[in-house]
Amino acid sequence: MNEIREQYETTQFIVVKYGDEQYGVDIKYVDNIVRMQRITRVPKVQSYIKGVINLRGEVIPVISLRLKMGLEEDVITKATRIIIIKLESNECIGVLVDEVKEVVTLEHAMIEKVAYDSKDPRANFVSGVGKERDGLISLLDIPGTFAEKEA
Amino acid sequence: MDVTQYLEIFLDETKEHLQSLSDQFMILEQEPENMDTINEIFRSAHTLKGMAGTMGYKRMQALTHDMENVFSEVRNNTIKVDSKMVDLLFQVLDALEEYTENIQNTTEEGTNDNEHLIKALKDYLEGNSGDSATVAPKAPAPEAAPQTVTDAPQTDADPAKEKWRDIKLGDTENTVLAEAVKQGKKCYGISVYVQESCILKAARAFLVFKALEEIGEIIVSVPSAQDIEDERFDFDFSMILISETDAETVKKAVLNVSEIESAYVGELEIEVPQVKEEVQVVQIEETVKADAAAQGAVAKQDKKPAGKPIVNRTVRVDIEKLDSLMNLVSELIIAKNSLVSTSTQEGMLTNAVFNEQMEYLEGVTTNLHESVMKVRMVPIESVVQKFPKMIRDLSKKLNKKMTLYMSGEETELDRTVVDEIGDPLMHLLRNSADHGLESAQVRKERGKPEMGSIFLDAYQEGNNVIIEVRDDGNGIDVEAVKAKAIARGAITEEQAENMSDKDIIGLLFLPSFSTAKQVTDVSGRGVGLDVVKSKIESLSGEVDVRTKLGEGSTFIIRLPLTLAIIQALMVEVGGEKYAISLGSIQTLEDVDPNEIEHVQAKEVINLRGTVIPLIRLNEVLDNESTKSPDENLLVIIVKKGDKLAGLVVDEVMGQQEIVIKSLGKYINKQKIISGATILGDGEIALILDTNALL
Repeated sequence: MNEIREQYETTQFIVVKYGDEQYGVDIKYVDNIVRMQRITRVPKVQSYIKGVINLRGEVIPVISLRLKMGLEEDVITKATRIIIIKLESNECIGVLVDEVKEVVTLEHAMIEKVAYDSKDPRANFVSGVGKERDGLISLLDIPGTFAEKEA
Repeated sequence: MDVTQYLEIFLDETKEHLQSLSDQFMILEQEPENMDTINEIFRSAHTLKGMAGTMGYKRMQALTHDMENVFSEVRNNTIKVDSKMVDLLFQVLDALEEYTENIQNTTEEGTNDNEHLIKALKDYLEGNSGDSATVAPKAPAPEAAPQTVTDAPQTDADPAKEKWRDIKLGDTENTVLAEAVKQGKKCYGISVYVQESCILKAARAFLVFKALEEIGEIIVSVPSAQDIEDERFDFDFSMILISETDAETVKKAVLNVSEIESAYVGELEIEVPQVKEEVQVVQIEETVKADAAAQGAVAKQDKKPAGKPIVNRTVRVDIEKLDSLMNLVSELIIAKNSLVSTSTQEGMLTNAVFNEQMEYLEGVTTNLHESVMKVRMVPIESVVQKFPKMIRDLSKKLNKKMTLYMSGEETELDRTVVDEIGDPLMHLLRNSADHGLESAQVRKERGKPEMGSIFLDAYQEGNNVIIEVRDDGNGIDVEAVKAKAIARGAITEEQAENMSDKDIIGLLFLPSFSTAKQVTDVSGRGVGLDVVKSKIESLSGEVDVRTKLGEGSTFIIRLPLTLAIIQALMVEVGGEKYAISLGSIQTLEDVDPNEIEHVQAKEVINLRGTVIPLIRLNEVLDNESTKSPDENLLVIIVKKGDKLAGLVVDEVMGQQEIVIKSLGKYINKQKIISGATILGDGEIALILDTNALL
């Protein structure tokens, strides 16, 4: 019974794009989506941290998921957005995306888990793949991606 | 009864009482016959027992109950306090603290019955009470005030029931009593117990009062006459009576009233010294006071403060509410800064009225900020008050004689800092006790007093608070540190040659560096001074050491008064804005590039006779200076302890009050940026930690 019910349960994802690829961010982690704004560089930090922004009086770090996943550097266009992710610890992090496309609702039956693949660094950031009429969406593993790591 | 809602209050108050007990035990150890202290302990134990009972913590209740019993006997001078007893009391205290901790963590007190403690306490009771032969003689009065008033010998006395001994006597009462004695009258203390089945307690009490007033004069009663009339008492009340009759008549008068269970009457015998009349009154007043103190009144001896904190008009506020208030003030300051910056751009400042209001607003926000800051300030007392006991324990454990002297416990610091400062201080104290002080034998050989001294001094200095931990022990053996560092491979021998003593001592703050020749339970496991240092630095403070071999060492902690809002100098480096705390800045200098000299391939300037190393901030911050190399350099001279350095910047924009915001956990801890601040135009400027640069 439980399994059947789970099949019909749904989760909403915000679909963002990096180049041609579509990625999904579970809506429960998204606090806000803001336009590109001036990012203040912070010296001597991890390369994928682009700097900090002022979001309603709070200083929030902005990271480039592209750099973190090993893709090419972000090209800032008019479509570039910063998604503000709120983690369980109440800490906010801004993530640069090329474009925000839409919000989709996926039934759990439409989500396929992906196995951990040590060869593909990108797979570490993805918890599953959602099937949708426009194609496949790589669903980002938010807690895993932004877990505090002592570098 | 659901008591969980009272848990927090219970914990708060229990901790207060435990602390008070700890303080009083320390005093008791020094002055085993100090009645003030004994009474204070008795009261605390009694209150603790009551609270634990109400909350249903049976084990805690049992333990405090026995402690209370022991002190009840001590109070009546049937048991004498000795050092063994103090040791036992400290163990009891540890056990109570354990219960409290368990309750705090799990809301359960745990399952440790501490039977051995209860048994030990009972031994004290049984070994002494009930055996009139071992009853200790009346305790001599506390040294400060010779006692000339003694209690009349008691025939049928049950000391615990003679509650009149707790009656507090004011100056007027004392005068009246003294006067009465002079006239040959007698003073009685009376405690009356009404039968518990009695329905109209107030009426019975009234009859007792009436009966007594026929034979004498009631000076004072507890509870007050008004409270008794309103039936605000349990089943007993006490009073002091002046009468010409004897004690038996007084007792009879009370017992003649029906539904009175029992009455305890004792005489206050006052010896009137045969001297001049004027002096007489004053003296009696004093002696009566001393007696009152000895009998358990809170009357203070002028020698030392009573253990009970003076009640202030205070409100307990959740620290989170204060934090949010502080945040609001921060935002207000940001908004104000923003107003100032836009008005400057718009040329509004030419408008006199606007200008005036703006200045007014600045004044208000600064005052507001200061007030909120003051609210957040707490004395470091809450942290340091546990140290005397710790040193006492260490003294036993390490088998060294030592005393801790503290001063400046009232020095205030921001709440967040006070919460964090305990561990580092504890570490430094342990360090002094273990590594610093020599054993009694060595001290003797060196011609020092056997008793080692550790000092903890706190005081405010400008915008900083200084806490010093000092000992008169061995001091730091620089050669030993050097040898150890070389052995550990931390430095090479050549490096060691060139290092000053100060640099060598600095090595102590490296991780896993301990010079203790043997690892003890107390310290010397290598997690030590580096932890102290990093903790203090995370609070934007710094640690300094001064030491003299054979004479002792001093660790100096310097902490900023507040962490949230600081005055800063805004500078520009490579087009980026940075803030530097004004506290660390000495001067601003305009330096000709030709004045730069090189020492060991490093740039230095000679500033009025002092050689100061230059740090080019654009190199540290990985960006391009906007100035051409032949232009004069803008150098900010900053200081850390007694080290100086010149920071080269492109532009200085002026002084500003800034609100410090954290960069968040996600950005890797890197030392040179200690935080960020939001400027008037919404832009972010990073705050440079000059301490990390030096």
